[in-house]
Amino acid sequence: MKSPNLRPRNLGEYVCSNCTRQLRRQRRTYATTTLASPSNLDIYDIVCVGGGPAGLSLLAALRSNPLTSRLRIALIESQSLSPTRTFSLPSTQFSNRCSSLTPSSVRFLKDIGAWQHVQRERVQPYSEMRVWDGVSGTSIDFAVPEQEMGVGGVVAYMNENLNLTQGLLRRVEELGGVEVIEGETVENIRLGSDTTNGDFSSWPVLRTNSGRELAARLLVGADGGNSPVRAFAGIESRGWDYERFGVVATLKMEGEGWGGNARKIAYQRFLPTGPVACLPMPGNHCTLVWSTTPELAQKLKSLSPTDFVALVNAAFRLGVTDLKYLHTLESGQEEEVSWREQHTPFSAEQVPQKVVGVQEGSVAMFPLKFRHADTYIGQRVALIGDAAHTTHPLAGQGLNQGQGDVEALANTVSYSVEHGMDIGVRMNLESYESERYAKNHLLMGVVDKLHKLYATENPGVVGIRSLGLRAVNRLDGVKGFFMRQASGTGEKLL
Amino acid sequence: MALGLNRHLLASGLPKELITACTTTTYQYPRHFSVLNRPLPNYEGHVPLTRLEKTGLAIGSAVYSLYNPYRADLIAALGEATATPYFIYRLRDAMLSDPTGRRILRDRPRISSKTLSMEHLRSLPENSVGRTYVGWLDREGVSPDTRDSVKYIDDEECAYVMQRYRECHDLYHALTGLPIFREGEIALKAFEFANTLLPMTGMSLASVITLKPTERKRFFQIYLPWAMDNGVKSKEVINIYWEEQLGRNVESLRVELGIDKPVDMRDIRKKDRARRKAEKEAKERSGDSLGIN
Amino acid sequence: MAPPIAPIRPTSLRNLNLLLRTAPRFVQNQFRNHNTSTSSTSSVNPTEVSHFNALASTWWDPHGSSRLLHLMNPLRHDFIRGCHASQPEPVAKEGLHYLDIGCGGGIFAESAARLGSTGSVTAIDPSPEILAVAKSHARQDPALASRLRYLNTSIEGLPKPASLGGQYDILSLFEVIEHITHPAEFLDQCTPFVRPGGWLIMSTIARTWTSWITTKLVAEDIVGIVPRGTHDWEKYINEDELKGHFSKKSGWNSPRVVGVVYVPGLGWKEVDGSEKVGNYFFGIRRDE
Repeated sequence: MKSPNLRPRNLGEYVCSNCTRQLRRQRRTYATTTLASPSNLDIYDIVCVGGGPAGLSLLAALRSNPLTSRLRIALIESQSLSPTRTFSLPSTQFSNRCSSLTPSSVRFLKDIGAWQHVQRERVQPYSEMRVWDGVSGTSIDFAVPEQEMGVGGVVAYMNENLNLTQGLLRRVEELGGVEVIEGETVENIRLGSDTTNGDFSSWPVLRTNSGRELAARLLVGADGGNSPVRAFAGIESRGWDYERFGVVATLKMEGEGWGGNARKIAYQRFLPTGPVACLPMPGNHCTLVWSTTPELAQKLKSLSPTDFVALVNAAFRLGVTDLKYLHTLESGQEEEVSWREQHTPFSAEQVPQKVVGVQEGSVAMFPLKFRHADTYIGQRVALIGDAAHTTHPLAGQGLNQGQGDVEALANTVSYSVEHGMDIGVRMNLESYESERYAKNHLLMGVVDKLHKLYATENPGVVGIRSLGLRAVNRLDGVKGFFMRQASGTGEKLL
Repeated sequence: MALGLNRHLLASGLPKELITACTTTTYQYPRHFSVLNRPLPNYEGHVPLTRLEKTGLAIGSAVYSLYNPYRADLIAALGEATATPYFIYRLRDAMLSDPTGRRILRDRPRISSKTLSMEHLRSLPENSVGRTYVGWLDREGVSPDTRDSVKYIDDEECAYVMQRYRECHDLYHALTGLPIFREGEIALKAFEFANTLLPMTGMSLASVITLKPTERKRFFQIYLPWAMDNGVKSKEVINIYWEEQLGRNVESLRVELGIDKPVDMRDIRKKDRARRKAEKEAKERSGDSLGIN
Repeated sequence: MAPPIAPIRPTSLRNLNLLLRTAPRFVQNQFRNHNTSTSSTSSVNPTEVSHFNALASTWWDPHGSSRLLHLMNPLRHDFIRGCHASQPEPVAKEGLHYLDIGCGGGIFAESAARLGSTGSVTAIDPSPEILAVAKSHARQDPALASRLRYLNTSIEGLPKPASLGGQYDILSLFEVIEHITHPAEFLDQCTPFVRPGGWLIMSTIARTWTSWITTKLVAEDIVGIVPRGTHDWEKYINEDELKGHFSKKSGWNSPRVVGVVYVPGLGWKEVDGSEKVGNYFFGIRRDE
């Protein structure tokens, strides 16, 4: 029995104000598009846009949980996933896009059964982190105590992003049951309509460039910084550009590192232009992440391999004045650096071993940004990973924050399924947002302040930050707290 | 492990941050030493001093050199003892930021009678840097070899920077045209202070109290403002590769560095003397006319 | 959407008077009363129906007056699972049939219909406006159509099951019993719908000073999160009264009670002993 006053246009007062607001907004944006006809509409419980680490982790998490394994799930990835599937490099070569995975992220990846699909011999755990101030030389060491070495005594794991996504994709394909739509872009997203099959007016309907239409009970935006899903949901993402680029490269070192293969060390030096990090990879390899100004990044990219290597060595050894000068040279850095090293006091074992080569074609750069979405959820929309937040890479937390989002969202969805709640309804997504938003915001704030604190040569600021770092380094309790927070095993702050 | 080493480091060097805070040195040696445990010198002639010894040296040399301004060795010691923590590093960095400065640091040229041929300098054209320089040397009866070697600055590169500054001092006279007698010396020290920020040059200004009142008035009215203005706005004079500029016309070098020639001190003194003499004569004449004598 | 009646200002004399009229007095056990009452054809109280008709539009507003019910809903399933887990034999993994009486906008009915273990949900409510909202809302989830059936009726209007097959595994009465004028008779009406071995599950509020303060004074009058008149404190029933009622009737076993407390910022939490004070779940199993 259908009451006559329940035709869609009269529904307004029965639909929550939130939904009617969204309805109005969507109608305004997509007024000219024709509504989906119900016949060719594919109905999914979850449509995930974006097959990066966050999106694939979510699928693996949902499919590996018996509670959520009955959900009908689709993945839309605009690129082909073949390069991910077939990713294979000799053991002496590494992709230049690497991320640090905290023990907490690795524990989650193990939980969802993806870790064993990752090429483990290409993953490098490290148990010590040496960070120092490029202007004053003050340093702080984060080292896992000897007695904890056995029980997961790892600060973090360095891993190629492609190795991770490959492991995740293998896991997703092993579990099966996900409709993978690859190499198709999302042409538009709009709200569905009230049809004889049901009222889809609160459901996002995606249309791909091949004409497929998918209705999503829950649309997950794992579609990166310029998230189309976020744009559809009308969620603002705020922040700023750092006017900095991250220069990455795969480096060949003269040895396995000062601690040998058993005890790898990560190095990061804060220069006024931004931090430069040398992170251990298996064997004699390291991955470089050098945040610097756009001009200097461009310069770095244009250098010959020998001069590039010389400048990277200089970045961990020479004074700020020398570095500034070296950046002004068109070439000849190698000769200049070898002279300066004779006159610059540093202890060889406190800095990374000498870089002896750079993998061909591995030098790349990308702009650094700070962005945080106003909210991670909307009616039948959730944002995860870079779609929700983009942060400065100095703490190596970007990917880990994404994994934290995925774990929280998967738990929220699982709870909803277990209790018969509609997984897409905003109210039922609230616990995801409340678990993640403040936590991410706090971490991003700290990382942002660190960047700003170290992006100055002002002697007063340098003095104070050096004293602060020294104090933290001395207080084992405080240091331990920071270490546990950074590795994701810490006390819950929020 | 690295952690252990770090603890040791921290225990040894207390206000190390204050020393290194404004330098570009990435790493400081663990210099845990005392009078009884003196480390090996960092370069030939280096005398490593404890912080206490350095402070003592600074105070002692400052007091004695004020009593006896002709003790060049004390002034040199004062210069070295006060050049750290910040100042000599700043000067070194100024050189490192400049291609010529870097070349000087790399070549480490020394100015001495061995490296400079006095005969050659005397053969250079009038108003050239080298000819003017050798003119000073001849008039004062000194040689480039009378400069002391640096011994109390720990960093070998900074020690060279100090040495270079010292050896170039006489060339600054040639550059600015300021004479060697006390009034000119103080004006030049003021210029050097504004340009190099070395504390010793600033402290030397204390001897302004030893000037005659007219000289002092002149210093404050003419030469101090000139020194401050030109010292700050001109390029760092430490970055001049003098050995390459000897044949250069002084005036063109000044223009390149952005230094205005100060009022000619000899000229102004001559005029002043003439004026005073004239006054005195006038007075005498008026006395004669009054028939006092 | 704003509640129909604006929250009062405590200074107003008229409002003070209103408060005093609804303040707790000694109220006799509802169940002791029931013998003297005349038998009626419906358990439904007409004023209650009209009150909930007025509430209909805000039922699914996540920030409206039903927010607390939405938040409580998962705990209902946890409680039912707890009841099932306490059975000596395991409960069926699928095909469970629910009868939700006083389903309102369908918060519980929809959620029950989504569970993998559910065969069907029959949800009834005497308010036509509310049922229209429930039906309209259910259309937003096409997965519900085959499993969820709404009927605009009271329990009396529902034909008594003729056989075991027509009976239900779970009969739920969530936040219903406190709105019923003659609860004992009403419960007797429900009994034939529960299959032997099935459960009667309900949630309600204890009749205490605390519940008067929280549900009448704070929720309705001061904070205004629940429209005035939603609750009639005098009809509240305590868990010992329920237990007493069922112990006098034969054919019921294993009563279970869990008290829940709403903690602002944390949501609903199970708290031992709170059933004596405020909201609680009550479940009882029909003899095999």
